[in-house]
Amino acid sequence: MPPRARRKPAAKSTPVAERDRDLLLRIHETMVLTRAVEDRMVAMYRGGDLLGSLYTGHWHEAISVGAAAALRPDDYLAPIHRDLGAHLWRGMEPWQVMASFMGKATSPTGGRDGTLHYGRLDLNVYNLPSHIPANFPVAIGMAFAAKYRGEDRVALAFCGDGSTSRADWHESLNIAAVLKLPAVFVIENNQWAYSTPLRLQSASDSFAAKAVAYGMPGTKVDGTDALAVHDEVAEAVARARAGEGPSMVEAVTMRMHGHAEHDPADYVPREMFEEWQKKDPVDLFERVLLDNGVLDDDTAAQIRASARQAAIDARRKALADPMPDPATVEVGVYAE
Amino acid sequence: MPSETRSPVEQQELTYLDAVGAALMSEMEADPDVFIIGEDVGQFGGAFKVTKGFLEKFGERRVVDTPIAETGFTGLAAGAALVGLRPVVEFQFADFISCAFDPIINVLARHHYRTGDPMPVTLRAPFGARLRAGPTHSQSVESYFAHVPGLKIVMPGTPQDAAGLLISSIRDNNPVLYLENKYLYRRLKTSEPLRLEPIPLGRANVVREGRDVTLITYSAGVSQGLEVAAELAKDGISVEIVDIRTLVPLDVATITASVRKTSRAVVLHEAALRMGYGAEIAAVVQEECFWHLDQPVARIAARNTPTPTSPPLEDAVVPQPAQIAEVLRKVATA
Repeated sequence: MPPRARRKPAAKSTPVAERDRDLLLRIHETMVLTRAVEDRMVAMYRGGDLLGSLYTGHWHEAISVGAAAALRPDDYLAPIHRDLGAHLWRGMEPWQVMASFMGKATSPTGGRDGTLHYGRLDLNVYNLPSHIPANFPVAIGMAFAAKYRGEDRVALAFCGDGSTSRADWHESLNIAAVLKLPAVFVIENNQWAYSTPLRLQSASDSFAAKAVAYGMPGTKVDGTDALAVHDEVAEAVARARAGEGPSMVEAVTMRMHGHAEHDPADYVPREMFEEWQKKDPVDLFERVLLDNGVLDDDTAAQIRASARQAAIDARRKALADPMPDPATVEVGVYAE
Repeated sequence: MPSETRSPVEQQELTYLDAVGAALMSEMEADPDVFIIGEDVGQFGGAFKVTKGFLEKFGERRVVDTPIAETGFTGLAAGAALVGLRPVVEFQFADFISCAFDPIINVLARHHYRTGDPMPVTLRAPFGARLRAGPTHSQSVESYFAHVPGLKIVMPGTPQDAAGLLISSIRDNNPVLYLENKYLYRRLKTSEPLRLEPIPLGRANVVREGRDVTLITYSAGVSQGLEVAAELAKDGISVEIVDIRTLVPLDVATITASVRKTSRAVVLHEAALRMGYGAEIAAVVQEECFWHLDQPVARIAARNTPTPTSPPLEDAVVPQPAQIAEVLRKVATA
């Protein structure tokens, strides 16, 4: 049967009460931590702690964490700058992210790169350059390596709606489908690529529909629903792991901040923000867990408080860390 | 990493192309992590037949035909290299490498500096003029990339160097741009047995000793230079030829030792003159050898035009033996 773009019927979803409680809690805690760290960093940006601008993923938490939670730790991840949640899921420390935005010697790149470029290969996470979706070809290369070695690892790449217009996006999808690579592509459709609205980015009804043309399944999910994202990605991962090739998942959300914190996003209609304000993915998931008895009010408050404290502690450590030594600036241009 | 010395390939006459293929095959035999990827490299054996017979020997897993997607498969190679493979990417023509400029510059070249992760990718590309192939099929691309920190650039001028330097390129933990002069593919031959051993990157080779002038060159300039030098010798002009072999890293010591000996230097390449690699060499020579020079450093290069198709036009653009001889004679005797 040829692949089809489809929406998943909500009824098929496993009831929350029947799900792995530890996994639910970990997803929630990571989403809350992601939000707390980014909120703290917004304040740090305004206070002058950070270099350059700050790119955040408000309203992307359910996508970055939900998708990352559908992978094994040995699967490869190629996130973008909206995906702090995926990094934290893998074990990146919040202070390392802050240190990156400060150019500290202790950041994952030692200050060689910085700001949003902090992926750690030891966590099987690619550190992408600014040329998004340059992470797409790299991710299919990781998938290629897994298949080459007969391993059942999967590679997952994220991108935004803007990325879908680039040649490397097209080439990666096409190659992955032709070579039947174990890859999953998650399109974080947040309606805006810097100031460019969706209607100027693509004339297609959905990005998931484009997957069909490449010969892979494409589905569209509510990107503010962590479980919906998780389940859809988990299906795509299972297909990839079983040798059935790549899939695409389009997760629809809204970019609730500017492109970065320097950008007031005054080109976005106010009503659009107001509408999406009601769909805070962190609040929504917390509500699901409360309603299903996975969380009680006290525990929920405690999770929020400890995330806030973790962000405060992370800032203290990052601020105190040393800057790199300029005498080392030529070290590492070439590998031994 | 394979360390044993493999027996030399003995064949009546080995071409430059044979040498590239033999070295690639030997590395693929020795290291299961090495694979070749590109357009038409499989059953077709590559546009120039470097990988003829590879599919039968290694199978589709290691001889990977791709859609026409230079950006995609170059980035793919980066991802595969990051997790431990050693990809060899074939560009059908170096002209098409512009389609992969983005991943080469921003993904491959910078990755180690940004992260400390090795990036062992070899980018093979046939380049160069004199085949009447016109402005978009004859380009010399080395200068675009020589400006970029993090890339190594290898441009062999002999069959033996083509083999030895390719082996080193594949074993190197950095992205290496390995440029094959396609005019030499079937024209340059050797009757010597081919040694399938690594030749270190960053070591120039004095291919002819001389006393009056140093010709600093690479790739096709080596055989061109040797022919011209043999002619000039009949007139008593003694030309020393330094084949730099790798542009990055550059063996400055061998160049300067030669120039200090002859006190005269000429640089030759097939790429266009303006901002060509010869400008870098000339600058290095004047910085290091200024007080030894009896003459200004001369540059022989293609004109600053696209490479035209029609023979009289192309010949007017690309350095010809008579022009090389004239410049060498002038610098050597002035």
